[in-house]
Amino acid sequence: MKKKCIAMLLAGGQGSRLYALTVSTAKPDMPFGGKYRIIDFPLSNCANSGIDTVGVLTQYQPLQLNRYIGSGQAWDLDGVSGGVYILPPYQSMNEKNSWFSGTANAIYQNIGFIELYDPEYVLILSGDHIYKMDYGQMLDEHIAKGADCTIACLRVPLSDATRFGIMNPGADGFVEQFEEKPKHPKSDLASMGIYIFTWKKLRQYLISDEENPSSDKDFGKNVIPAMLSAGEKIWPYPFSGYWRDVGTITSLWDANMDMLSDTRLDLRDSSWPIKSNSEALPPHFVGPDGEVLHSIVTEGCEVYGKVENSVLSSSVVVEPGARVHYSVVMPGAVIESGAVVEYAIIGENTRVCAGAHVGAPPDGSAEWCVATCGPDITIGSGAEVPAGAMVYKSVEVAK
Amino acid sequence: MTDLHGIVYAFHSFPELGPLQLPRTAASLPFCGRYRLIDFSLSAMMSSGVRDVGVIVQRDYRSLLDHLRGGKDWDLSRRDGGLRMLPPFGMPNSHLGEYKGCMEAMSAVIDYLETIRQKYVVLTRGDLIAGLDLSEVYESHVRSGEKITAVCTTGTPSGQHHRYILDGDGKAVDILCQQKENTGGVASLEVYIVNTDTLMELISYCSAHRMPHLHRDAFRSFLKNGDKMNVYMYSGYCRHITTVQEYFNASMDMLDKSARNNIFTRERPVRTREHSDASTYYADKAVTRNCLIADGCYIDGELENCIIFSGCRIEPGAKLKNCIVMQGSVIGKDAKLTNMISDKDVVITEGITLAGSPQLPIIVPKGTKL
Repeated sequence: MKKKCIAMLLAGGQGSRLYALTVSTAKPDMPFGGKYRIIDFPLSNCANSGIDTVGVLTQYQPLQLNRYIGSGQAWDLDGVSGGVYILPPYQSMNEKNSWFSGTANAIYQNIGFIELYDPEYVLILSGDHIYKMDYGQMLDEHIAKGADCTIACLRVPLSDATRFGIMNPGADGFVEQFEEKPKHPKSDLASMGIYIFTWKKLRQYLISDEENPSSDKDFGKNVIPAMLSAGEKIWPYPFSGYWRDVGTITSLWDANMDMLSDTRLDLRDSSWPIKSNSEALPPHFVGPDGEVLHSIVTEGCEVYGKVENSVLSSSVVVEPGARVHYSVVMPGAVIESGAVVEYAIIGENTRVCAGAHVGAPPDGSAEWCVATCGPDITIGSGAEVPAGAMVYKSVEVAK
Repeated sequence: MTDLHGIVYAFHSFPELGPLQLPRTAASLPFCGRYRLIDFSLSAMMSSGVRDVGVIVQRDYRSLLDHLRGGKDWDLSRRDGGLRMLPPFGMPNSHLGEYKGCMEAMSAVIDYLETIRQKYVVLTRGDLIAGLDLSEVYESHVRSGEKITAVCTTGTPSGQHHRYILDGDGKAVDILCQQKENTGGVASLEVYIVNTDTLMELISYCSAHRMPHLHRDAFRSFLKNGDKMNVYMYSGYCRHITTVQEYFNASMDMLDKSARNNIFTRERPVRTREHSDASTYYADKAVTRNCLIADGCYIDGELENCIIFSGCRIEPGAKLKNCIVMQGSVIGKDAKLTNMISDKDVVITEGITLAGSPQLPIIVPKGTKL
C-alpha cells in the first residue's frame, strides 16, 4: 500500500526529569489538561491533518501506553488501509536490531516498517509536546519549497533562544546553520522537534549515520547537521500558536495551568478536536458543599471539597473539607477530608490522606518549585510534603 | 461464555413524554448528562458478553441511528454478527401506524430472528434504566431449566406495569397485566431471557392468532398452558421512563450517590457514544451545589440540583435550580430557571425567568431560542 506521507512518533523516552511521575509509565502517557494524555496531541493532530498511518516507537515502560493507544479507535486511526502501530524494539538475524540508541536509530531500525508504505515523505514527531498543528500545511510547504527536510520552528524571544536548537536561515530562507543551545543566538527560530523528510533522502542519511561509530544517532545532533553540511535543502517552517514542551515538572505544571485560559490553546474548538481514549465514565459530581472555581474538571470526578485554579483528571475524588489549589491532580487520585494540596502535581491513583499537606505557595525564592507526588502512593495522614519535593514512595508519619 | 442474543425494543414512543419524544424514540432520550436510555440495556448486554444484538425500531429512529452508528462503542461493530438495526421489513403495512405490541414487532422482523445462532435470547426495553448483571440472570436461567426467566423487583414501579404471581418455589405461575400498584406478586422489569426455540414458537403462535402483545398475549397464554417461568429478583435501582414525571424524577435520583453507585459500577461500566469533548471549565463566578456536569461545558453561573449535559454554556448570573439542561444549550446571563428540562441545543437569552414545579417541570423543546 503506497502512502504519500506517514508519521513516526517517538514515544520511547524515559522523561527522566519528570522522575517520580514516569517511574512506571512513559512520558507520552502522562495525563494532561483534564481528560487528555500527552500523546493525544500528536495523534489527534495526525488524524486532523489527514495522516492516517502512524508508527509509535516505544521503549521505556510501554505497557500502559500500549493499552491506552489500543486499536487507535479513539483518534479514528483504526482504518482499513492505515492506523496506529506500536513499534517496540525487536531482535532479528541482524545484530544491529536491539534497543533504540537514539532518535535517528529508532527510525533506522524501523526502515522496514516505513517501506511497507513506500511513502514519499515521513513526518517525525515526538510525544512530549502540547500543541495543535496542521501537518498537512507543513507538508504542502515542504513540497512547494522542494525541501529535503522541513523543520517546524517557533519564534522565541532572543533571551530564551539559548535554551533551544536555533535555525539560522540564509538569504534564500533555507537553513544555513543549526546551533544547539547557542550562547549568542543569531536568530529567533527555535526547532520544535517536528520534522518532515523526503523519505529517500532520510533513508540515505539514516544508513550513513548508523555507520558512523561516533554518532549519537540523534536527529538534532547528527542527522540535521550532516544534511546541512552536505548542502541538502532544509526549510524552517514557521509555526505560530501555542506549543509547550512538557519535559520538566515546572513546564508540565505551567502547561496545565495554561489550559485554564482558553486564549492559550482552545480545546473546545470543534474544528480541530483533540481526542482522548476516555473510559466512558459518568459526568462529574459536585456535592452540596463542593466549590469549583477557575478550574478544569472532567468525567468521573466527585468534588465535595474546594477546588480552585486546578486541573482535575478523570475519577479524582476531593472529599469534604479538602482543599486543592493551583494543582494538577491525575486520574483516580483521592484527596481525603481536611487534606490540603497546593501548587502540586498528584500522580495517578495516589491518595493524600486526611490532614496531609502537599506543596506550598511560591515564597519568592529561586529554589521554589511545585511539589510532586508520584503515582500509586499514599501520603499518610498528617504528612507534610514541602514545596519542590518529589515523592515517589508512600509517606507515613511516625506516630 | 454466555450463549445469549440481545433484542432491544426501541420502537416505543410515549405520548406522556410530551415534547421530549417528538424528536426521538424513548430509547434515545438523553439521560444523566451524557447517556441515552438505550445505553443501559446495551451496556448490560456488553458486560455479560453478548455480541449479537438486534434493535427493533419502527419510526423516528434517526436520533437512535446517530447514537448507535455501527455499535462500536459497545463492542458491537463486528465482522460477524454485532449490532443490527431492525426497521419493519417484509410485513404488509408494518411501517404504517404503530406496533401494537412486542409480539407484532417481532413478527415484523422474523427474518432476522430466524438467523439467531444463540440458544437463548435476552429481551429488554430500550427505555429501562437499571444496573442489571445479565450474566447472573443468564446463570439463573440456565440453572433453572425453565424456558423463560423473568427479571422482577420487589419494588413497585411508578406507572403501569405487569406483575407475576409466584408459587412456593418462587416460580411465576400467573401474570397480572397493566397494574398500577402493588396488587400482589412481584413487579416485572420487562427483561426476559427466553430459550430461542420457545421464543420462535411464541411468535408463530401469536402471529397465527393475531395476538400482538408480549405480556397480555404471549406470556399469559404460556402460563395458562401450565408452564412456569423462572424468576430472577433484582434489588437495585430500576426505572422505565415513559412520562415526563418519571424522567424528571429518575434524573434527580442520579444526584443521589447510592442510586448512582447502583447504576454505574466498575465491573459493568455504562458505555455510550464517545464524543470528543474537552473537560469542563469552571470560571470565577461559578457556584455549584449537588450537580452532575458532563464534559465540554463552560460554567460561570449558579447551579443547584442540576444535571448539565455536555457542551453547555452557563453564563454568569444565571441561576438554575432543579434543572436538566441537555447537550449544546446556552443559558444566558441572569436567567432564572427552576424545575425546567431544556432539550438539546436550546438557547435561553439574558434575563429570562422560567419556573416549573417538581410535579410539572417546564419543558423547553429541542432547538428553541427563548
